[in-house]
Amino acid sequence: MPMLELQDIHAYYGNIHALKGISLTIEKGEIVTLIGANGAGKTTTLRTIQGLIRPRGGSIKLEGEELTKLPAHEVNRRGICQSPEGRLIFPRMSVQENLEMGAFTRTDKDGIARDLERVFSLFPRLKERVRQKGGTLSGGEQQMLAMARAMMGSPRVLLLDEPSMGLAPLLVESIFDTIQALNQQGITILLVEQNARMALGIAHRGYVLQTGEIRLQGDAAKLRDDEEVRKTYLGEG
Amino acid sequence: MKQKLLTNAEIIGILLMGFVALITGGWSVVILVVLLGALVGVNVPAQPGAWRRAVLPGLISALAVVLVTVFHNTVIAGLPKQEHIPPASTSFLVYLGSLGLGTAVAVGVAALRSAPDPRVRRFGLLGLLLVCAVAFPFFEQYAQLFWANAIIVAMIFALQALGLNIVAGYAGMLDLGYVAFFAIGGYTIAMLNSPQFNLQISFWLVIWIAAAAAALFGLLLGAPVIPLRGDYLAIVTLGFGEIVPIVFRNLNAVKIAEPLSELAALVFGRPELALCLAGCVEPLNITNGTDGINPIGRPVLPGVAFVTGQYIPWYFLILTLLAVSVFFISRLRRSRMGRAWVAIREDELAANSMGIDLVRTKLAAFMLGAMFSGFAGAFYGSYVSFVSPDAFDFSISVIVLCMVILGGTGSIVGVLLGGFIIKVADLLLLDKLQVVLGGVLQATIFQGIQNQGMQNFLESLFNASQYKLLLFGIILVTMMQFRPQGLVPSTTERGH
Repeated sequence: MPMLELQDIHAYYGNIHALKGISLTIEKGEIVTLIGANGAGKTTTLRTIQGLIRPRGGSIKLEGEELTKLPAHEVNRRGICQSPEGRLIFPRMSVQENLEMGAFTRTDKDGIARDLERVFSLFPRLKERVRQKGGTLSGGEQQMLAMARAMMGSPRVLLLDEPSMGLAPLLVESIFDTIQALNQQGITILLVEQNARMALGIAHRGYVLQTGEIRLQGDAAKLRDDEEVRKTYLGEG
Repeated sequence: MKQKLLTNAEIIGILLMGFVALITGGWSVVILVVLLGALVGVNVPAQPGAWRRAVLPGLISALAVVLVTVFHNTVIAGLPKQEHIPPASTSFLVYLGSLGLGTAVAVGVAALRSAPDPRVRRFGLLGLLLVCAVAFPFFEQYAQLFWANAIIVAMIFALQALGLNIVAGYAGMLDLGYVAFFAIGGYTIAMLNSPQFNLQISFWLVIWIAAAAAALFGLLLGAPVIPLRGDYLAIVTLGFGEIVPIVFRNLNAVKIAEPLSELAALVFGRPELALCLAGCVEPLNITNGTDGINPIGRPVLPGVAFVTGQYIPWYFLILTLLAVSVFFISRLRRSRMGRAWVAIREDELAANSMGIDLVRTKLAAFMLGAMFSGFAGAFYGSYVSFVSPDAFDFSISVIVLCMVILGGTGSIVGVLLGGFIIKVADLLLLDKLQVVLGGVLQATIFQGIQNQGMQNFLESLFNASQYKLLLFGIILVTMMQFRPQGLVPSTTERGH
């Protein structure tokens, strides 16, 4: 049984048909990436999975359990945690408080303390700034905080929305290294990216989204070599 | 770095307290130097030896207030139509004592704040506050200041502001009809403990019923609106705040028909078909319309008389309620629910993704806010012993919102301070200012103008209390421009 499965998802913004039948699967322990141009529906897909947008058709299943009709806070409780696009950290809360909010639905104090240690070892920078307000962090640190906050929810599936957005190339590399490290700890990841080269570099499999539809799919290595992907998304030849 | 003699906060404090001293005089100097001393003490950085740095500013600010008071007592008090200054308050000893007291408070507060032991810091400051709060009404009575009524009403409004702070400050929802819950609280006690229905349910029970009724209406109003996004809540609450007093005004002649027969009467156009259930012979009078309900029952406590004109029992009762509320709300703010409120205010989408149930959490804030307003309304109704629809107009919603914004949204200390400043200015200072201005007019311009009409015109032009709303407007605009986070920003706002 796949970890996360989307079947023929249709979603709308008002009358705009944003997702026109998206189907994708993520196996346990995988990094799956969703690439595509601006407005292709990548963020919409993530928000639909999270329950922030209610699909008009199709189904979303987490290890066979139906999530489609659940509100966002219930989806989170079932183990889907997101580092949202544009980071959306809580700017006037300290780093510590931001991380605590990530574990809002959990009651296992020991587990929370353990996860806090874990994200601090992954992001030592955050440990240094634990009392600082989220809004005063640099862009890269805010991105780390958003990812760390999602980790604090002890996710079964981690949704990452454009973690490289607006970051310097060096920082992008270190963020992607971290994503890979998270995955090696056994976390299933759905990674939405515009930086297709980097995303396909660490993902196992990928989906190419175009105007609300899946255009291509397959192993990341195969997609990297695909003529169309290279032309459109990797800016080659 | 060269140290400035006085910081900006101290200068503003001296100007404000100096102004109050200018228009009040008499014994008020004692209270003003204590307030100013506390401000100076809080303003000094809390580090070892801070008390030494508080001596000079403490002395200067106390001296400024004393000098202004001397000016009032000697010059302004001599103008026509001024309030009586007790002779005992104008002795040199009082001035010298005030000077010492102000400095001592400044030094004491600074020393307590910088004490190495956190328990000394905490309990020392709380103890000092308690001593001042307990001493105030007795001193006020002795000094014939006539401030007690204004202070009690200010505390009732501060209680409301605390409640609105949960809604607007913590959860970030704009409630423009907050007065509705105040009115519901007031009318609850008016109906349950007054001659209106000949009910005498105890005050101690009724305030809880009033709070529960307000919370219930908060739920009924909030449940359909809160799930909507954007500014719908502001608009709906604005309407609710208008509707509630109108409903109370119109519930004075009610006739209830059995609904099915009433429908039949309407359909067939034959009014005689409607079966009357209640109010048939004489329409029911539930709220007494525009005349309002009066008198309303007072709290009953063995050995204590809660009557009009005896302020001390009322003062301590509302002080206790306020203290309990502050304790309760500060615990609430640190609870799971409180953190969820702040997260929602910061970023709704992110909060939702963290597993926070937006509707339930916001609704809880809305209900709790309504509850405090209902509580305050019941107390207010009993205190003034009278409720009428006119006592609950839109301006109250605006004033309470002003208090929250002036003090600092989300900050308990700030909101209390904002509530006090606005209500004391409203009920006390504007009147005093008017008396002083009137005296100045009499003594100066009127000497040259014999025309009575012209004198009346000038007197009404300088009638300070009619500029109340203008003053609030100026305060709001100034705060937005120069200090949008409020006088005492909440800890989540600081350093941002």
